[in-house]
Amino acid sequence: MLIDINAYVGHWPFMQLKYNNCTALVERMNKYGVETSVISNLNGIFYKNTQSANRELYEELKALGTQRKRFIPFAVINPTYAGWQYDLEECVKKFGMKGVRVYPKYHDYEITDPALIELVKRTRDMNLPVAFNYKMVDSRQRSWMDIDYVAYTPKPEWTLKNIFPIIKAVPDAKYMILNVTNSMQLDAADAALFKKARVLMDTSGRTINDLGSLLKTQGTERFAFGTHAPILDYLTGMLRIESLRAEEADARVKELLRSGNATHFLGL
Amino acid sequence: MNRRNFVTRGAAGMAGMLLSSPLTGSAAPPPGEAATRSAPPSFDLMKEVMKYRKIDVHAHIYWTDDSPETQLDYGRRLGIEKQVISRYLDVMPGTPEQFRKFNDLTIKAIKKYPGQLLGGFVLNPVYQKESLEEIKRCTDAGMIGPGELYYQVKINDPKYFPIIEKLIDLKMIIHSHAECQLGVGGYRMKYNGYKQPNTSIPEDFVDIARRYPEGIFQYAHIGMGGDWEYECKLFREYPNIYVDTSGSNNAENMIDFAVEHLGEDRLFFASDNSYYQGVGRVLSANLTDRQKQKIFFDNYNNLLKKGGRGVD
Repeated sequence: MLIDINAYVGHWPFMQLKYNNCTALVERMNKYGVETSVISNLNGIFYKNTQSANRELYEELKALGTQRKRFIPFAVINPTYAGWQYDLEECVKKFGMKGVRVYPKYHDYEITDPALIELVKRTRDMNLPVAFNYKMVDSRQRSWMDIDYVAYTPKPEWTLKNIFPIIKAVPDAKYMILNVTNSMQLDAADAALFKKARVLMDTSGRTINDLGSLLKTQGTERFAFGTHAPILDYLTGMLRIESLRAEEADARVKELLRSGNATHFLGL
Repeated sequence: MNRRNFVTRGAAGMAGMLLSSPLTGSAAPPPGEAATRSAPPSFDLMKEVMKYRKIDVHAHIYWTDDSPETQLDYGRRLGIEKQVISRYLDVMPGTPEQFRKFNDLTIKAIKKYPGQLLGGFVLNPVYQKESLEEIKRCTDAGMIGPGELYYQVKINDPKYFPIIEKLIDLKMIIHSHAECQLGVGGYRMKYNGYKQPNTSIPEDFVDIARRYPEGIFQYAHIGMGGDWEYECKLFREYPNIYVDTSGSNNAENMIDFAVEHLGEDRLFFASDNSYYQGVGRVLSANLTDRQKQKIFFDNYNNLLKKGGRGVD
């Protein structure tokens, strides 16, 4: 069984996406043997009021009929925008959402913003994960209207060091770190803290190209299949798992990566 | 209290009230509601991976002790039969001593692994005489053509003309680095991409392809992170520009889009050492098995055959 912990529906304003609604995603999942996908609505990155996007996703899932159970919706929350606490409550209690995705760069706040800390503490208290990502699209192909964190410039793309301060601030929360595309290096003390934290990373990002080694250094329970679809192709994240050799990951570990770790982490 | 604090604290107070007052009118599917969920049939990805013969037409080796063995290991893992390797000239100014040293590394690798590695040479047309001599030296050593020519000189610079004419005479595929990023190589320079000023851009490829319609040009890595929609649209009318699909950015729909605009014969499978992305993006494309096989192997091999260098 495969559970994809990093998928989206919705639009990217600077490029047309394919397979970016639940119906198309179900077809993709069926074709490639994926039973369940964690999804959120990309539109929430661009709407000032993210709740509109969460409601869109809820309505789309409601209209999907029996297939809706194949999705685990996550809310997009901007903790610096008025009413987010109400939105979070509504997403969890009314919309049945099982986690939160945040976008500090797009929503223009710092990783240590007190509002974000408050949100993470609240999700912790609700036993919900909060998901960060390194980036949404490759900065080298960014539109002139997109954010300007650009690889190999004085304002580079994020690394783990940029995300880590929130983990340090609320070390007992549940974190998902997605599309891991740049360095995972931390200094020794932070690395030790990171290793103790409840973190699940997905396999969509290019830094996961040596998953066999990462399983040894980070542990077998900290990674799970993810696609970052429909922005990234559907199979590369899967290929990083399926091509592992027996000495890198036996059958048990592969099942953890395909679905076991996601099931445990998300409390499915 | 600043405005943000006011908004945040105000909202927090409201949420506090909400927590003690359950939301009403919920239309959410009740937790645990039984809904039909039939598991999809399993998909044997590695069987699909191994179904296709593959030549990776853009790969590199390094100065490290584990190279090229690490690159070969990725190839074995993903069923890549051959890799066209080079040690790209990522130094300035790129003197003859430097490019000879870089090519020596490649020659050493292809001599050691002749069944798996095909060699591409590098040069710098600023040093025209030495570059032409280097083409002969490397061809005599068994290399199949230029590897990824780099950013010392733009591909359409007149300094390149005698080099390109020689490569055309030899029926070699002319492979050059290029980018399509804001603020790089002349593209929208009000931004600053912090790259070498002579980096080639798509317009430079069009210029040289028009000058030499008999040349076969390989535009490097449409998956490198540049604007692949721009690249493919610009190259549509230039049948002697082929694109290699390599790069670390495995955007969904990139391959489909490239086939739509360039046709299924003008794409070469490649990784630029991002092996998983290289294979994954072609496999996930909405193409027929035959189209995938052409991209993975046949398109490039057919051009190699024209120069007597085919691999089967």
